[in-house]
Amino acid sequence: MKGNWFFPNLWRLLSLLAIQGLILSGISYNTDGYVSILLYPLFILLLPILIPIPLAIVLGFLMGLLVDTFTGTIGLHASAGAFSAYARVLILERFAPQGGYTGKEPIAAPVYFGWQWFLSVAGVFFAVHLLWYFSVAYFAPAYFFSKILPQMLLSWLSTLPVVVVLVWLFNPRN
Amino acid sequence: MYSLYRLFVRQGGLITLIITQVISFYLITSQNSPQQEIAQRTWSWYANWALEWRNRLWDYLALRDENLRLKMENARLQAELANQRATDILRRDTIGHLHLSEQGKDAQKVSRPQYVFISGRVIGNTLSGRNNWLIINRGAKDGVRPNSGVISRTGVVGVVRQVSDHFALAMSVLHPQTKISAAVKGYNYYGLLFWGEDDPNYLTLSDIPYHLPIHRGDTVVVSNYSLLFPEGHPAGIVDTAYRIQGSSFLHIRVVPTQPPAGIREVYVVINRYAEELERLKQAMSKEQ
Repeated sequence: MKGNWFFPNLWRLLSLLAIQGLILSGISYNTDGYVSILLYPLFILLLPILIPIPLAIVLGFLMGLLVDTFTGTIGLHASAGAFSAYARVLILERFAPQGGYTGKEPIAAPVYFGWQWFLSVAGVFFAVHLLWYFSVAYFAPAYFFSKILPQMLLSWLSTLPVVVVLVWLFNPRN
Repeated sequence: MYSLYRLFVRQGGLITLIITQVISFYLITSQNSPQQEIAQRTWSWYANWALEWRNRLWDYLALRDENLRLKMENARLQAELANQRATDILRRDTIGHLHLSEQGKDAQKVSRPQYVFISGRVIGNTLSGRNNWLIINRGAKDGVRPNSGVISRTGVVGVVRQVSDHFALAMSVLHPQTKISAAVKGYNYYGLLFWGEDDPNYLTLSDIPYHLPIHRGDTVVVSNYSLLFPEGHPAGIVDTAYRIQGSSFLHIRVVPTQPPAGIREVYVVINRYAEELERLKQAMSKEQ
């Protein structure tokens, strides 16, 4: 973590929160919750790679809580945000380059690691986030095959292209 | 404190995750109605489950007390049954009828409860000798008196002879001095039931007139003249019956309904009027 990491992250937080809360939550309501595009986890994914894990989890929790205030589901996104912030560490460890992360690459962006790597990491990360989110939303294992899994797959398929387009457009470096 | 700090450094991520998830789940279940409902139902289900298991455990631990309670209840019911049989005779009785119709509500005066049952357990039993004895784990402090009958649920067991504070010594039915006033069910003739053979599987019923059509399988019960045993209590089943040559009585071989081996749970029968009746009997012998 060197230099100007604070403002890019703050900017990502505010813009993703605005997109999620003002636009995408409306789509979710229109489709009766079946297609949920959850973009805000991108903020968690693009946090500095070497950020202290507890801090990342707290930030994920707060980000989710802010989204919750827009959607009126206090606690749901907060739980998913904190969980995926923890999962992010494990995923990044799993996909670490040879020799580990040195700090030369401040964030897990395709500009440093390539698109194939980014797609793998983002794919797993968003799958984990969506799975946790829908599990908490339905709150009963009985719904797993009838509701949780299908909605998670649909939402995953609709979320990832938007993530790719956004990352391709803005090409974040810090 | 330092070790706590070290723990946080090593496992900070996991600890933070758990803390945030606890907060999240609290928020979810308190702020969102569908999840709140599911959580409440789940909690109540688990609570009921735990409660049920606790109850089962308590029931199991209380089995000993429950068993004792049931035995006392049994003794009370057996006594009530025996008393009821005694009372029924009074009701059928002409004087009893007059008495009842005159007194009306004071019928209770007629139906005097006659028996008290004390439940106990046989802790010693001999079968091998000529004179066989039982030891029962109830004694004078429990209200057992000498010359009290001992029965089991299915038959007659013996007669108490000696009583200590906590135990009682009883003659088994397999003792030549044990003689029980008994009758074949359905006939108003009574005889003596005793151990007249060497075979501990059979008792003998004597003094039954030969003209009675006694058959194998008839029930032998305690007669209403017995001071020690409640009348009508089962004693045995007729095995064979034949007329003794040169006599007007039958020799009846009886299989006891309570096998002398394997006696466990017994009731000591206290006849409240036994002493009173005994005094009358002694007066009778003086009169003669």
